[in-house]
Amino acid sequence: MYYLKLLNTFLKVNIQMSLAYRADTIVNILLNIMWLGWELLGLSIIFGNTTSLGGWGYGELITLLGVFRLVNTFMIALIWPNTEKFNQSIRDGSMDYTILQPVNSMFLVTFSRISVWRIWDLVLAVVLIVTGINISGDITTPISILTFLLLTVSGTIVLYSLWIVLIALTFWFTKFDNNVTILQALLDSGRYPVTVYPVWLRIIVTFIIPIALATTVPLQALRGDLNLLRVLMFLGISTVSFLIASRIWKAGLKKYSGASS
Amino acid sequence: MLKIFQRLWQVNWAEQWQYRANLLMYLFYWLVSPIIYLAVWTSIANSKGSVNGFTANDFITYYMTLLIVDQITSNIVIHTFAYKIQDGTLSNELIRPIHPMLTNALVNNIAFKMLTIMGLVPIWIVLALLFKPDFASVTWQGILLAIPAMILGFFIGFLLSAAITSVAFWTTRVYSIHEFYYALILLFSGQFVPLTLMPQLIQNIAHYLPFQLFMYFPIQVILGKLSTTQIMQGYVVAGVWLVLSITFFRWVWRNGVKQFSAVGA
Repeated sequence: MYYLKLLNTFLKVNIQMSLAYRADTIVNILLNIMWLGWELLGLSIIFGNTTSLGGWGYGELITLLGVFRLVNTFMIALIWPNTEKFNQSIRDGSMDYTILQPVNSMFLVTFSRISVWRIWDLVLAVVLIVTGINISGDITTPISILTFLLLTVSGTIVLYSLWIVLIALTFWFTKFDNNVTILQALLDSGRYPVTVYPVWLRIIVTFIIPIALATTVPLQALRGDLNLLRVLMFLGISTVSFLIASRIWKAGLKKYSGASS
Repeated sequence: MLKIFQRLWQVNWAEQWQYRANLLMYLFYWLVSPIIYLAVWTSIANSKGSVNGFTANDFITYYMTLLIVDQITSNIVIHTFAYKIQDGTLSNELIRPIHPMLTNALVNNIAFKMLTIMGLVPIWIVLALLFKPDFASVTWQGILLAIPAMILGFFIGFLLSAAITSVAFWTTRVYSIHEFYYALILLFSGQFVPLTLMPQLIQNIAHYLPFQLFMYFPIQVILGKLSTTQIMQGYVVAGVWLVLSITFFRWVWRNGVKQFSAVGA
């Protein structure tokens, strides 16, 4: 409950901060709509030339775009702003104040910055997912929808854990402020099913920087491509990766020694 | 004047060299989307045999060439210049007897380009080993004919970006305007897909716009896909756009500098 209250406070603070930039917010939303238009145009150009991409149809790619936007919004609204703040706090030593709070430091580092206006993007993503399912005509059951949701969350947790590990490395290598570039750069691969990529790239985005776990895999569950064993395996992976990440975070905190003399 | 350029080159080269780690990161970031497009279109071509006459190898050679051409024709002037207008540091450069944009910023961009191309070469070779492009259609004439096209493409792109960057004299929202401009490039340059696979309407428009000169036109010249008349047409369009972009930039710049009043005391 305590943490929910804190989250509520963070939201309020961030809403106030974004209200100071009203015109920017409107411009950003317009640009966002433009990119959505571009993404849909891109998909229709692809499907003007073919009927399936890596075994997936037009509707399924729209759904995938929705899932991708869900994950992408999570990154843009939460992860990137907090990375910026985190790197800054390591450089100038203001990380001290974060650690001094009587709250889990991982929680503080994750939620203190929120791009609130991005919330409308989540709505858009859900609309894309539902529309895509309708176009594709895939038969969905309550169970497939449930596993889809579970796997989206668990895939996002895997990406989140990777992020924690990447920024925790900054405790050891202070100059490592390019820490998330690799994650940022490869994120775009989530727009298309991994099955279209050559093997080496598929290995990278499945096992090393596992973008696919949060984009392709949940959709495979929705299509009924995954058996129970696979689903359990993915859920297991996300639990284990979260545990490992918090371990590494704690070890990193011990290493942290402030920026002043 | 030559001496000024020489000195500017030394300064800017040294400056960019300091940031070589960031540069590699930038390069890596920039590489991902062409590789994704390459993978998407090759997978379609493989499953169907060919897409509108494009085989898998056609897509691979197209995007592998794009990696080089884009590196030559693109520029980063918005990132290296707009903030100088906003925080007022431009005033130092304005009092010099040389044009800040057409000397210092230009040389800075070329130095950046040289370094990224140096970083790209080994990566490109690895990618070539992975994708195994067959460049049988490439001839020396094609490459020689494409070189002036790439230089023209770079200068047109640079002048247009410089003009858009100069909008910072009026508004702080210049980055949003630039993002919109970037979307136009994505749509009309042939970065997403070779223009011939675009809907007819977009193709017709794209032929008269400058954006195809950044990627599609030089790539197709290198790959030997264009007839002599098409190449001549391309050069005529490039010539017209060079004149237009010079005029446009000069006009925006002149009015912008008049508008400029530096921040601070």
